[in-house]
Amino acid sequence: MSRASASVRRVARALEQRLLTLVAALTAVVLLVLFYYPVATVFADAVLVDGRLTIEPIAAVLTSEFYLVDIIWFTAKQAFYSTLASLALGLPAAWLFARFEFRGRETLRSLTILPFVMPSIMVAIGFVATFGRNGTLNRALSLVGLPPVELLFTLEAIVVAHAFYNAPLVARVVTAAWESVDARTVETARSLGANPRRAFRDVVLPQLLPSIGVGATLTFIFTFASFPIVLALGGFQLATIEVFVYSRVRDLAYAEAASLAVVETAVSITLTAVYLRYEAGQRSAGGAANPLPRRSVLPADWTPKSALRTVGIAGYALVVGLVFVVPVASMVLASVTGGDGGLTLANYAFLAERQATGASFQVKPLPAILNSLGFAAGTLVVAVPMGVTMAVLTTRRYRGRGLIDVLSMAPFAVSGIVVGLGLLRGLVFGVDVLGTRIRVTGAIAIVAAHAVGAYPFVTRNVAPLFARLDGRLVESARSLGATRTRALVDIELPLVWTGVVAGAAFAVAISIGEFDSTIILAEGAGSYTMPVAVERFLGRRLGPATAMGCLLLLVTSASFLVVDRFGGRWGEL
Amino acid sequence: MRLELDAVSKRYGSTTALDSVSLSVDDGEFFTLVGPSGCGKTTTLRCIAGFESPTEGTVRFDGESMVGVAPESRGVGVVFQNYALFPHLSVGENVAYGLRFTDPPGGGSRDERVAELLDLVDLAGFEDRDPDSLSGGQQQRVALARALAPGPDLLLLDEPMSALDARLRDRLRRQVKRIQSDLGVTTVYVTHDQSEALAVSDRVAVLNGGRVEQVGQPRELYRRPRTRFVAEFLGENNVLDGVVESRPETGGIRVGVGDAVFTLAEGRRVLGEAGSRAGAGDELTFCVRPEQLRVGAGTNKIRGTVVDTEFQGATTRVRLDWGGTELVVAVEDGGEQSDAGFEVGTTLEVGFAPASAHVVE
Repeated sequence: MSRASASVRRVARALEQRLLTLVAALTAVVLLVLFYYPVATVFADAVLVDGRLTIEPIAAVLTSEFYLVDIIWFTAKQAFYSTLASLALGLPAAWLFARFEFRGRETLRSLTILPFVMPSIMVAIGFVATFGRNGTLNRALSLVGLPPVELLFTLEAIVVAHAFYNAPLVARVVTAAWESVDARTVETARSLGANPRRAFRDVVLPQLLPSIGVGATLTFIFTFASFPIVLALGGFQLATIEVFVYSRVRDLAYAEAASLAVVETAVSITLTAVYLRYEAGQRSAGGAANPLPRRSVLPADWTPKSALRTVGIAGYALVVGLVFVVPVASMVLASVTGGDGGLTLANYAFLAERQATGASFQVKPLPAILNSLGFAAGTLVVAVPMGVTMAVLTTRRYRGRGLIDVLSMAPFAVSGIVVGLGLLRGLVFGVDVLGTRIRVTGAIAIVAAHAVGAYPFVTRNVAPLFARLDGRLVESARSLGATRTRALVDIELPLVWTGVVAGAAFAVAISIGEFDSTIILAEGAGSYTMPVAVERFLGRRLGPATAMGCLLLLVTSASFLVVDRFGGRWGEL
Repeated sequence: MRLELDAVSKRYGSTTALDSVSLSVDDGEFFTLVGPSGCGKTTTLRCIAGFESPTEGTVRFDGESMVGVAPESRGVGVVFQNYALFPHLSVGENVAYGLRFTDPPGGGSRDERVAELLDLVDLAGFEDRDPDSLSGGQQQRVALARALAPGPDLLLLDEPMSALDARLRDRLRRQVKRIQSDLGVTTVYVTHDQSEALAVSDRVAVLNGGRVEQVGQPRELYRRPRTRFVAEFLGENNVLDGVVESRPETGGIRVGVGDAVFTLAEGRRVLGEAGSRAGAGDELTFCVRPEQLRVGAGTNKIRGTVVDTEFQGATTRVRLDWGGTELVVAVEDGGEQSDAGFEVGTTLEVGFAPASAHVVE
């Protein structure tokens, strides 16, 4: 081997050995530039008035009765009720999945991921189509001769819509925990004298509590910062903090908006820390060697008790069907319903016509779709490597790891509106660095906002798989001659690939459905996405908005499935 | 390849895992580290492989210091207790993994080398099998083939047999020894099973609490343990604490243990360092192996009461109570006629020859 190629080999090897550190540093820089800096500029408005440091704006918000009661308290209240509703709707499902056998169990189980990745604006539209004055609920009521109800712009509608989103999440998390309970622990309790109820209370329930905590905390965090659903179903009368931040931003009252955002972030970060604590307490969801036995949903022999239980399960299934099928069906129905109430394709025709003849400042469907897909592709490219790097970093033990964990999950806790605003003012309008103005196009800022919001989900899908990997596998590879990076690529990545694919599918769905940041950044008719288009159409009539919503549903589902399929097949090569 | 550990210490915070361990392993030697859990044997192995760095001291391969050398550059083959086969690769791909970073030794193609090694471990034709479908013993042999494929200078085995049942363990142990001696690769073997250590090794190091108690050939360690720990760790032993009565001119030592007085023979083999220097009034500890306590024979006599017997096939372990001290006697099975003499409660007289004892420090 020549001297030159030997030294090239050596340099390459040295680089390879430090590659992980390099990528980690890069990720930190990206995060700093695309998240911490923009967010800091927004929060600065809450503490800097005319250039001097002060807590006046925040104090004003915290002492204002309007803000405290009408906004903050209401936000907490609706989040609390939403969490209760999600638990009430989700826990029975977990019980069914973990302890019963029925046709379609596995398929239903996989479907529980869908509501969570649906664009929130689409869910909002679906519920508007259900609860609106001419919505399916009122139509059904009129069919049986009952008077119409006004459920739009009520707390109940918001809570139900939130349950749609979060109950499946609760069900997933608790089912996984339930299935990892070792049946032998229950059998031991029984042999020591505990009856079934006691055994459940003493042995099973304590093992389920961390997962219930995870589900409840996540639901509260998401519903506390909920935006499009509250906007569509509550208007400005029932405003949460996020909705109000948006309205203040629109009125250019940045100090007030920032103060509100600071309060909201403080709550969310605290809850995120609590969530991380619960998550750590969960046993790794690998499924117990001896899971609790499952019985058929239809009882073998009919006793009053088993009959009651079956009726209960049927009733629950009905409620679930209503909550999950009706909004989507209503949206589809509304998209093919004309102003007179009859079936028509006029709404889709409107979209086509707008596409063909719309003015440049008007919202057109095709650019919206193309933009959404483009941004999703960009998000994939940025969020997946970032998320995987974070997963690798947070599964190793080292000093300060707890802090890195929270810092990397921060985008979780910060309002999307704040991120969008920060990117807009910080990077899109440009910032002066050493005399030159550094500017970033709106499109790049949107990809940044999406990636920042999506990578925590990649991390959360990949990290548990990394944690479960046997350290000896990497050591074996290294003893056979692989550098640390080579071992990561050859051994660890293939084994966590399913998590990477799942995270990537998440990232794509989240990007397509992202609303909060995009609505701030998509100024002008140029770089709007499908969710933004839906909201713009919503102002006028329900028809075009629901038609756009159906398109959004189609594109989101298709993209999610494509990434899942494609990634899965690639992983097998 | 010659391996040297030069006063290697390893500390984790306030815990000391290795305390100035010095060892040397000759080229082609089968060297075993044995000791109870937590004695530092696995830590030693990991320092040799490069997965841990010593806090103090140096690891040397053929005289070259390995400080700062990454594991992948050391040319060491490792077999772990749980084999750590790559689940997403086939058996053949597992064995071939190390050949991605180096050419197959002895020329020839990768496939040929894989086939050669699988043949060596009696798994010919298993290239396309899935590691999960193999039994424990088969997985262990694949792990061995994988470690040997790149032709390492040093082979490290970390308790490779502990997950297998006793029968399989014996068989595989002999196979590993045979392969090792055929290939002549320097090998360091870690185990907590002292009988295994004695059976396969050229030399053994007994570790305890991060320190080396004694290094030597198996026979030497068994017959002439230097410390109490080694005496009790390798096989069963009767360790007696006494005080030197006198040193008669005819040679040897008279030791008093409780009410009895025993005579130990002269010479290094029996007395060791400590015994040779001891004078009247000094404390002296010596050990007598269960098989050296003969029933109704030997000049040093002991009368005890049988408290327990354990039939082990070829021998029976008889436990005696001798004035509060428990002694173990190994009696060769003499068929049904001899069973009666060892019932619980019987008084038994055993004895040992002066040359059968060994003084420990």
